[in-house]
Amino acid sequence: MEALAKAAEWFIGLFIQGGQTFSGLVVGIIPLLIVLMTFVNALIALIGTDKIDAVGKLAAREGIIYYPIRYMVFPFLAVFFLTNPMAYTMGRFLPEKYKPAFYDSAVSMVHPPLGVFPHVNPGEYFVWAGIANGITEAGYNVGDLAIRYLLVGFVVILLRGIVTERISAIMWKREEQPEASAA
Amino acid sequence: MKRINKLLETIGRGVGRVVGAMYQAGRESVDQVITNVLPFMAFISLIIGIILATGVGDLIANYLSPLAASLLGLVVMSIIIAIPVLSPLLGPGAVIAQIIGTLLGTQFATGAIPAQYSLPALFAINPQVGCDFIPVGLALGEAEPETVEVGVPAILFSRFITGPVSVVLAYLASFGMYQ
Repeated sequence: MEALAKAAEWFIGLFIQGGQTFSGLVVGIIPLLIVLMTFVNALIALIGTDKIDAVGKLAAREGIIYYPIRYMVFPFLAVFFLTNPMAYTMGRFLPEKYKPAFYDSAVSMVHPPLGVFPHVNPGEYFVWAGIANGITEAGYNVGDLAIRYLLVGFVVILLRGIVTERISAIMWKREEQPEASAA
Repeated sequence: MKRINKLLETIGRGVGRVVGAMYQAGRESVDQVITNVLPFMAFISLIIGIILATGVGDLIANYLSPLAASLLGLVVMSIIIAIPVLSPLLGPGAVIAQIIGTLLGTQFATGAIPAQYSLPALFAINPQVGCDFIPVGLALGEAEPETVEVGVPAILFSRFITGPVSVVLAYLASFGMYQ
């Protein structure tokens, strides 16, 4: 009988711990998240998402100075205003050869802003919050981490854009060549 | 009188638009939190609770945390996650990234992994981001089928390179943080 009681206690203990974690997350994260998301969503509604179309046309241009626009500014604006997954529709402004690189760049931007702009992807908030929460519990301020995550994110999406553009260009060439020699 | 009426109307309209947008934004935010964030919190809490209560956490702290508390360990982790066959499987809903992130979070909380590794860790758990979604994402951008054919392998190979590189970049950018 005593063993049974011990087992029951142990079993419930598993969930008491989980419940404490849950209430910590709800109280610690949700209020800020809701208010912040409300602010940004209202801002986006007032500005209007059609404003970034002009940036899309700029991003489609050839030339090295347009790389940062195509793979840094434009993906960020797309993700910020349209959020995951509608941001990828902005690829329609670009020629076919840039589309894979743009997607790679944009999709890599759906997590780095989460520390500052959680509205971009609340469904995957814990990619950021899992680690950030641990940092908070360790007694540090997460602001530093949030801003660095976003800044490094910018560098990484530029890099991904350039690398993927090169790789897809090489693959396109390879696909064309066999056909040309066959003809 | 007409002028004043016009002015009042303009102000009324402006205020109505702003208030309406904010109310709508609040509704959207609450909806998203209830449908997307809260269920995930429940799931994450369950996992953390079990890990902490059963002592699996101590095992992780003793054997796995040392791996994550070094640049090499994090780079190796990102390479494994970015393997072109694995990355699309690990992608959906970012569930794997969120679970690994939360597990690492428990280790950061206890200090088993030093806090300055949090930045490279954020990139190490995520080189597979969106790899499950490439054909759909490209289709949303109105890409031709030929573009999808080239784009899928191009992005997967690119990740194999940029995944580990992003961890190194984040490591370099983490100097001076939490020290």
